[in-house]
Amino acid sequence: MSALDAHPPARRWFFRRHRPTAKAHQRPSLLVMICLLWLALVVFAAIFAGWLAPFGYTEQSLLNRLKPPAFLGGPAEHLLGTDGLGRDVLSRLFFALRTSILVALLGTGIGAVTGTVLGILAAHFRGWVDDIVMVLVDFQASVPFLIVALAVLAFFGNSFVLFVCIVGLFGWETYARLVRGLVLSVSGEGYAFAIGTLGVHPARIYLRHVLPNIAGVLVVQLTLNFPEIILLETSLSFLGLGIQPPGTSLGLALGEGRNYIATAWWIGLPAGVVIFLTTLSISLVGDWVRDALDPSLAQSE
Amino acid sequence: MSGPFLLRKFARCLLTLLLAVTFVFVVLRLSGDPVQRMLADDVPARVIESYRTMWGLDRPLPEQYLRYISQVVQGDFGVSFRDDRPVAAIIAERIPATLNLGLLAFGITLLIGIPGGIVAAMNRGRLVDRVVMGFTILGHSLPNFFLGILLILYFSMTLRLLPSSGIGTWQHMVMPAITLGTSFAGTVARFTRTAMLEVLNQPYMRTARAKGLGRTARVWRHALPNAAIPIVTVIGLRLGALVGGATVVETVFGYPGIGSLLVNAVAQRDLAVVQGVVLLIAFTMVLTNLIIDLAYGWLDPRIAMSGKETKA
Repeated sequence: MSALDAHPPARRWFFRRHRPTAKAHQRPSLLVMICLLWLALVVFAAIFAGWLAPFGYTEQSLLNRLKPPAFLGGPAEHLLGTDGLGRDVLSRLFFALRTSILVALLGTGIGAVTGTVLGILAAHFRGWVDDIVMVLVDFQASVPFLIVALAVLAFFGNSFVLFVCIVGLFGWETYARLVRGLVLSVSGEGYAFAIGTLGVHPARIYLRHVLPNIAGVLVVQLTLNFPEIILLETSLSFLGLGIQPPGTSLGLALGEGRNYIATAWWIGLPAGVVIFLTTLSISLVGDWVRDALDPSLAQSE
Repeated sequence: MSGPFLLRKFARCLLTLLLAVTFVFVVLRLSGDPVQRMLADDVPARVIESYRTMWGLDRPLPEQYLRYISQVVQGDFGVSFRDDRPVAAIIAERIPATLNLGLLAFGITLLIGIPGGIVAAMNRGRLVDRVVMGFTILGHSLPNFFLGILLILYFSMTLRLLPSSGIGTWQHMVMPAITLGTSFAGTVARFTRTAMLEVLNQPYMRTARAKGLGRTARVWRHALPNAAIPIVTVIGLRLGALVGGATVVETVFGYPGIGSLLVNAVAQRDLAVVQGVVLLIAFTMVLTNLIIDLAYGWLDPRIAMSGKETKA
């Protein structure tokens, strides 16, 4: 094979659905369809939270405190009941969903971009740049991230921007390691060298030629990373150290509901169920995407 | 095991530890003046100055840095802002509880994860495999704080069988250990399955079968030892997540260990305790990684001989 032939048709590979080895993975199964439907619902509810919610999420009604859900004999206007301040649980659920999804999306984006850029830098410059990035990767991998996040929150206090940045730092090292390895192997291929000899700027080579070729692996990593980011955000908020009241997030809702677990379980449990179903759906859809993108993975696993 | 191999590992551990200490020091200094935070606003400047001199905050930064390192090396993490007790003592009294919980949870993880993965790999594509894999995905998606709350709701509130929080009897350990243990059993099972499948496809497994070796002998003598390295790697990587998970689980069950100590200290911004716990955890993690690296040499003599890490 000549050097130039080695240029894989990136776009076709990315969108190709028919691979003889992956017959079973061409169309999503019923389970995956249900998961996709649930995710669509979640995104819809997050975007239109203000329009869907029957009450404001901070709207208190002290006469209607701790009312059970409508289907358990509570008042009909509060479908999922009310919390300790008489706020509508369903309305708060919509807004909690919006915050959690927003933080997870921003966090995933920050982590993916940071990791990818550092990975490319490490692979491009090698030498001491590479060393520094890899030492940072080692460090991040060796100390549990939840602990680092807790420490930073303790030292700097809490704000929404800082919180998003912390969540965003989660998982960057996986992208960095992955991209570094991929770029190193891609750079060794003929097409990257050929374009380089044409005098194209390295940044353009990476953006236009290398990135599309490693996009598949990055997408797979995204689907693995996203549920973990949601779990990180909800864990921190559950501990009362993430999103702060009067704001709300799925983790915070569950954390607040925990105090009423013996008497009013409906305050926290819906948020927990939503977290569970959402991470489960992303994992299952992610599995399907992974198989569809790279049938060789499906064989080895 | 060759000398350079060990030496390089040790150097790397020390470097990571130094990074952790530096990280804590930098963050500690960046986050503001501890004297200002501790004392009231109307304290005269003279008192503030004397505190700054007492804690060495008036010295140049490099000197403060070296002093901080030497203190940490001697096990001196300062005193808690809240009750003036030495941080080392506060942490020390919490260690046994966390160690008990962690070991129990780790045992549960291994007892469920490894046999689960092996059984799934042996029955690849059959119902057993699908059930095991289904459970791993469920376990991965179910946040441990939610599982903890569900357990409390059922076993403490409904059945009134187990205490919902606290420490003392073995009953107090059951739910925290199960919550923490099962959260990583799925990951371990998944990787065990992958590692086993890889090995089961090797030609030597066919040879073993061809020479008439029984199924049990094939799995125990030939497959498992060769699958051990990737499994150990994943378990090592996951230990950190176990430590992180412990903070959440201990908080859910009101279990007085290192994790709930950290969460409370963060909430109260008791920085001395926070940095002490963070350094302790970093040290534990580095030590564990070192032990795992050394275990590679024992699991795979080729690594020890050549001094190189083969790609597992």
